[in-house]
Amino acid sequence: MTGIRSNRSFALSVLSLALAFTGPAAAQEATIRIGAVLPVTGKESKIGGAYKQATEFAVKEVNDAGGLDVGGKRMKIDLALLDDTSDASRSEQLVEQLMAQQKVHAVIGGYGSQLVQAQSVVPDRYGIPYVSGGAGATSIYGRSKWVFGVLSPVENLASTQMDFLSDLVAQGKLKKPLKIALLIENTEHGKDFQKGVKDYAKAHPEFSVVLDESFELYAPDFKPLLGRVAAAKADLFMCDAHLEDFISMQRTYTQMGLYHQMVTYGARGADEAGRKALGAATDYIFASGWWSDLLPYPQVKAFTAKWKAATGSAPQWYHATAYETVRVLFAAIQKAGSLNPEAIRAALAGIELKDSILPGGVLKFTKTGQAVLPFVVTQNKPDGKVDIVWPKEARTGEAVAPMPKG
Amino acid sequence: MQQALDVVVNSFLAAGLYATMAYGLAVIYGVMRIINLAHAGIMMLGAYTTFTLFTHFSIDPFLSIVVVVPLFFAGGVALYRTVVRRLPRSGSTPSMESLLLLFGVWLVLQNLAYVLWSGDTQSILTSYTLKSVSLLGVRVGVPSLGVFGMSALSLLVLEFVLHRTYLGKAIRAVTQNRDAALLSGVDADRISAVAFGVGTAFAGLAGTLLSTLFAFTPDFGRSFLLKAFCIIVLGGLESVTGVAAGAFVLALLENVTAAYTAVPTSLQDALSFTLLVVTLVVLPQGLPGLFRLVHVRRRG
Amino acid sequence: MTSKRALEAAGMLAVAGALYFAPSFLERGTLNDLWSVALAVVLASSWNLLGGFAGQVSIGYSAFLGIGAYTTVLLALSGTPPVLTLPLGALLAGGFSVIIGYPTFRLRGPYFTIATIGVGEAVRVVASSLSFAGGASGLRMPAGSYDFESNFRSMTLLAVALVWIALAISRSAFGSALSAVRQDIDAAEALGVNSTRLKVTVHALSAALVGLAGGLFAINFQYVSPGSVFDFRLSLTIVLMPIVGGVGTVAGPVLGAILFGWLQLKLLSIPALLSSSLLIYGALLIAVMLFEPKGLLGLVRRLWARRLRRFYIDA
Repeated sequence: MTGIRSNRSFALSVLSLALAFTGPAAAQEATIRIGAVLPVTGKESKIGGAYKQATEFAVKEVNDAGGLDVGGKRMKIDLALLDDTSDASRSEQLVEQLMAQQKVHAVIGGYGSQLVQAQSVVPDRYGIPYVSGGAGATSIYGRSKWVFGVLSPVENLASTQMDFLSDLVAQGKLKKPLKIALLIENTEHGKDFQKGVKDYAKAHPEFSVVLDESFELYAPDFKPLLGRVAAAKADLFMCDAHLEDFISMQRTYTQMGLYHQMVTYGARGADEAGRKALGAATDYIFASGWWSDLLPYPQVKAFTAKWKAATGSAPQWYHATAYETVRVLFAAIQKAGSLNPEAIRAALAGIELKDSILPGGVLKFTKTGQAVLPFVVTQNKPDGKVDIVWPKEARTGEAVAPMPKG
Repeated sequence: MQQALDVVVNSFLAAGLYATMAYGLAVIYGVMRIINLAHAGIMMLGAYTTFTLFTHFSIDPFLSIVVVVPLFFAGGVALYRTVVRRLPRSGSTPSMESLLLLFGVWLVLQNLAYVLWSGDTQSILTSYTLKSVSLLGVRVGVPSLGVFGMSALSLLVLEFVLHRTYLGKAIRAVTQNRDAALLSGVDADRISAVAFGVGTAFAGLAGTLLSTLFAFTPDFGRSFLLKAFCIIVLGGLESVTGVAAGAFVLALLENVTAAYTAVPTSLQDALSFTLLVVTLVVLPQGLPGLFRLVHVRRRG
Repeated sequence: MTSKRALEAAGMLAVAGALYFAPSFLERGTLNDLWSVALAVVLASSWNLLGGFAGQVSIGYSAFLGIGAYTTVLLALSGTPPVLTLPLGALLAGGFSVIIGYPTFRLRGPYFTIATIGVGEAVRVVASSLSFAGGASGLRMPAGSYDFESNFRSMTLLAVALVWIALAISRSAFGSALSAVRQDIDAAEALGVNSTRLKVTVHALSAALVGLAGGLFAINFQYVSPGSVFDFRLSLTIVLMPIVGGVGTVAGPVLGAILFGWLQLKLLSIPALLSSSLLIYGALLIAVMLFEPKGLLGLVRRLWARRLRRFYIDA
């Protein structure tokens, strides 16, 4: 039958065409291809979606201004943003896809320690720079020279809070010794927070941890756990939780009539969503975070104004960190003057972004690839107000301690 | 002593909610031998419906039950008529097809929720959400009391319907022995539609009650679904009191382990599941089976 | 050997050979995709041994994947070479399936299914609490343990092997006994079939194969965490694939796996379909259950039969 022979040659020509297309990319690049894999749906979708919004905002800002200046040539950014549905394996596969098949020049990492941890094994295989603005877990960094992280370690989030508390003792607002009831969510984030608090307590004997328990994410009923907290009769209540659990737990805490001299939920507390959901029950809760719109730098005010104009609401910390991640990558590309992966990587390793909106005002990466920047501590005040209470230089108001009783 | 009282009161309050969640699943399984995996999605939808009624029309969540229950009943009947009824029936044996079909429905409901309400965490804050009262020396949140009250009321209504109306009798008959019921002239299709409607209505009600207590996202409902399984297995399918008893046992187990043991609360779920598996193996008929056994022993 | 069998054997050898040499002439991206499809085939076909042949629906298979994965990572971290870690992972997964098998196989139908859901979730919760297993943060494989080519070859060859195993079982006395258990367990028992022993055996084989895949999974992803391997959604997907493809057949799970693999990789990476993945899975499930419970294979057979009938009748 003649059909087979013509079929065979047809197949061969298709195959060779396919191989031709999958060969090395054309010499002249027209756009900068940036990939991003974020949890837009699924468990981490709340902040994942916010990261998407901020990333797209940052890219649009640059493209509207004509693109980046790469070695004298102006090039626009082509952003491929994929959804990993908060699944770690998918996250890894999508980064592989971006690097192996779409041959992006750099990848912006996801949000969430587990997802970023899974993603971070890939850059080494392809030698493509990877910057994450969504995970502070230290165990992710230091393993590959291609992996960078904008979020400072979560242990420092905890130790900053402890520094703040020590200062309150020094001021006489709190009396030592102080017993701490510590609850952490059963995640990497929670464990790092726990480590930060416990290490500090070991080095500072006026603090002791009398209750130390972990809970599963999205636990339905916190009454049994808070019952144990009540029984521990501690002075301070420190908890590290996601937004949903913060709301459920603080609700139950209030209903049970519990009281501690100071209460914190890690990075939660000042979140707009939390204040809306709990009203006056969030007053005087303190939180430490990677960013606050109250930071007294002009670039922060400019960013806040830009964001409000574009979206109609105030930026939250996660918008800022996502935005800054994109910005530092773009700055590195411009500094490198080319799209060569090693050039971009070297630029990232040595970069010092001097007008950063992050605390400290300067963004740079340490030897492990993770940025180690100061944290801010904020305290909620009545009527929806928030004050920065630490570090002292950035203070916008006095810390109230101990919390007034219900 | 105070702690024991704490445990008992909290267990009662939790049990009411759990029983409402479980009954929705139980009635559908009892009548149609279908495991409704969409139950979690329907509860989630109930929570979001209440939320929308609250934010857009300022209707108090407990009052919105008046809207939610009939709405979800109608929805359940519609779901049955359009989708579930077309399933190839394999007599009285439960089918894998229904399991997976309803899982598909659950996924679609989740997607619907993401589109309509986004993945943001939502919660309902009313004037009484953060208030509490003292009950036998135990501080109890006002919403928890409301939830318990509504659960108890709905289960009493259910008891009444099951034992005092023809419809209820038909449902019980089909649950006990489908073939015999059909032979006696029960309209299988109609009863199945009603049962599905009732199951969905209860799921919606549970969702409303849950929304007053917890924050929720479209992913919400899965852990409750598993607890509900636990309860039906414990409580058997035949009676409302069975389900209530199963709910109480589960709630009691959770509160007792939290209060008196050092078992981390994160392992509590594992405990529930172990209870589930152990019960399935040792007491396939659930607690009613145990009572019957004891009753027979005592008589004989 | 009949000519049909000879053709089958030749076909499988050809596919195996092509896959073995694939790393030399296919792009890395395509190889990644093939690996994912191979994993899906292994999971779907293994599940099908218990769920399709023996008719016992378990929605807890992620437990076996996870046990295999974690065993491999823990042993690798203590210096054991992969040639040992993989079989040990499989063995442990199989062993665990026997431990839970004996009590749960006393249950019938949906009660068994519910029990498996419970076990799966319990395993996940316990794994997140074990500190030596990294707790909730999971574990990373030791540096230098990543060898894509050999992992690719192992996974794809495992997939081919699984098809061969499924074929062999379906034609054996063992397979007939499983089928008897699926159709009417009491009648089978009356005929002298020890249904419990049979179920436990096929469960163990199936679990061990999934455990082996778990080990390869761990090596490929280099990182395991309770959320990624002990996931309920994963258990459901493992059930979905053979059902959509055609449960109880040999080709069905393979078809289902390929369809899902393709869906996951291509369709859902399109940014425009960002929020529709759940809808697509859900709608697919509903459509299959309503219109063609025998899955894709059933549909193909039905259409083919109709075409043949028309051909013969018209002639």
